[in-house]
Amino acid sequence: MASASPALATSTPTTHAPQSGTANVAYAGSLLTVNEQTVGPGFEHATGYSYTGRGAESLAITQEIIAGTIQPGVFESVGAAPIKPLIPKYTTWYASFAASPIVVAYNPSGPYAATFKAIAKGNEPITKLFPLMAKSGFRLGRTDPNTDPQGRAFVLMLTLAEQKLGVPVSTVNSILGSDAVGASPQIYAETSLLAHLEAGQLDAASAYRSQAIQQHLPFVTLPASINLGSPSDASAYKKATLTLANGMKVEGGALVLTITTIGGPGAPTGSDLQADQAFVAFVLSPQGRALYQKNGYTLLPVKLTGSASSVPAVIKKELPH
Amino acid sequence: MNRLDEPLFSFRRPHSSARSTRPPGAFRLGIVSSVIVIGAAVFIWLMLLGPLGALFAHLSGHAIRQTLGAPGGLSPMWTSLEAAMVALTAIVLLGTPLAWLLAQGRLPFARVIEVGLLIPLLMPPLVIGLLLIYFMGPSTPIGGFLNHLHLTATNTFFALVIALIYESAPYYILGAQAAFSSVDPQLEENAALLGDSWPRVFRRITLPMAAPGLALALAIAWARAMGAFGAVVIIAYHPYGLPMAIWVTLQEQGVGAALPYAFLLLIVALPLPVLAYLWSARARAKVTGTSRVRTLNVPLPDQASLA
Repeated sequence: MASASPALATSTPTTHAPQSGTANVAYAGSLLTVNEQTVGPGFEHATGYSYTGRGAESLAITQEIIAGTIQPGVFESVGAAPIKPLIPKYTTWYASFAASPIVVAYNPSGPYAATFKAIAKGNEPITKLFPLMAKSGFRLGRTDPNTDPQGRAFVLMLTLAEQKLGVPVSTVNSILGSDAVGASPQIYAETSLLAHLEAGQLDAASAYRSQAIQQHLPFVTLPASINLGSPSDASAYKKATLTLANGMKVEGGALVLTITTIGGPGAPTGSDLQADQAFVAFVLSPQGRALYQKNGYTLLPVKLTGSASSVPAVIKKELPH
Repeated sequence: MNRLDEPLFSFRRPHSSARSTRPPGAFRLGIVSSVIVIGAAVFIWLMLLGPLGALFAHLSGHAIRQTLGAPGGLSPMWTSLEAAMVALTAIVLLGTPLAWLLAQGRLPFARVIEVGLLIPLLMPPLVIGLLLIYFMGPSTPIGGFLNHLHLTATNTFFALVIALIYESAPYYILGAQAAFSSVDPQLEENAALLGDSWPRVFRRITLPMAAPGLALALAIAWARAMGAFGAVVIIAYHPYGLPMAIWVTLQEQGVGAALPYAFLLLIVALPLPVLAYLWSARARAKVTGTSRVRTLNVPLPDQASLA
């Protein structure tokens, strides 16, 4: 069974004869560019399997898998939170392999561009960023904390800035406006947020570093202590919490790319199952991870969480021994 | 009185009937055609209603109470109704004159104008939303002008109304144009010849005659506005109307919690189109049934004698 894809373990860029299976991958919307333009085609080229991907807000994918409205073979999310509700019915393990820190992308022709540029280059201290975004009339864009991990991460990042950088609470409140999690005019759909920035209609917007790099938007890098991109700071991130509109309390955590296969009712079988497993193995392989690095993600050592015994053999090869 | 040699009822058509001049086999062809036509009609109707069946099959009373009974649970409904009403008012006030002028054939480059109306219909609403960012965003000249009026075309009630107008106006204007075109120009000309000014002709003849078609056009535009999503999600994330509430709830809590909003959307959006359809059908029957008779009763002056 595993004989279909042993070539994955090696990172030799050889083309393989077409295989009949298709890897069906649901992934966080922020991974759209890297998956559709780089990883998907790279996987097809390296293994001969076909690839089909679908990007959406991670937590929405979780809900759709539970409701049975989609039946992907692979789920790739930002952070493990969207995968956890699927344990143990749909999977019993997940592997993390790269980090996706939060940055502040800015409008290069907006009225604040010069200050942003100075902060980005390190000519001005990072602490200047926060009073700048708190200015009245400043047009900030972010995504919905109730539905999107990035929206949560941005608010948590500001809480961490309070805790770690000594940014005054009043400044953070001015940045987020009257309502951090409710009906704020700062909130845009994840799919359109950067389009508003690109069109020059915002002064700055939250973004994953990878998105800013892929879309050629200038950005300010945030310190690891607040950017949610450093797994070694995970325990400090936990001290930032946020209460969502429905009363649910969420805490900070490292924004790591996490991947697993999805089983359960209606799960793929035969060659499609092999293709799904081959996709996860490809993503975790040195060749696959290099593609993520090229797209602005920070590589991390592959780390398995959950039941090691239920990880398919072909994927196990890519895990640390 | 029936002839004795002809049965009163027969499953076979009487050969001697004056109407039975069709060639042999035509009758069977007629039955086959009827079956095909009726079969196709029933099939498409059932297919179109299929999702509605699925909605009711998966809707639970518990979910309805939980979603709609939550604090602020009904606010998307009010937002949708208010925004659609404002949008439709603007569309009727500004779109009716355009539709009428197009129907009159008085506009230069009428075809160009019609194609212009087709463009927003043709474009995916999502693309309209993206282009509206460039067209009306706060940093554009239009955005600057709106700013003077303390209006913003992103993430405000005003932005929602704008998105609804883009998604529904072409349906109303093209429908209204067809309604005005269906009015017999002879009637309008006769009234004008009798000395009525054009506003009076419009009010007394054109508008009442076109009203059933206008009502239908308005019903379709209303349905479009209530269900508009593509442009809305781009330029008006907040305040939530019903389609956005469905989308956000779907992502936040799953399909089960989102369906009550779909149900609510049907309940509040459907009565107006249904009433418009019923009224329109009745009014059409009246117009086609009586108007011609009335024109015959009007003592028309001889055009040649006027000349």
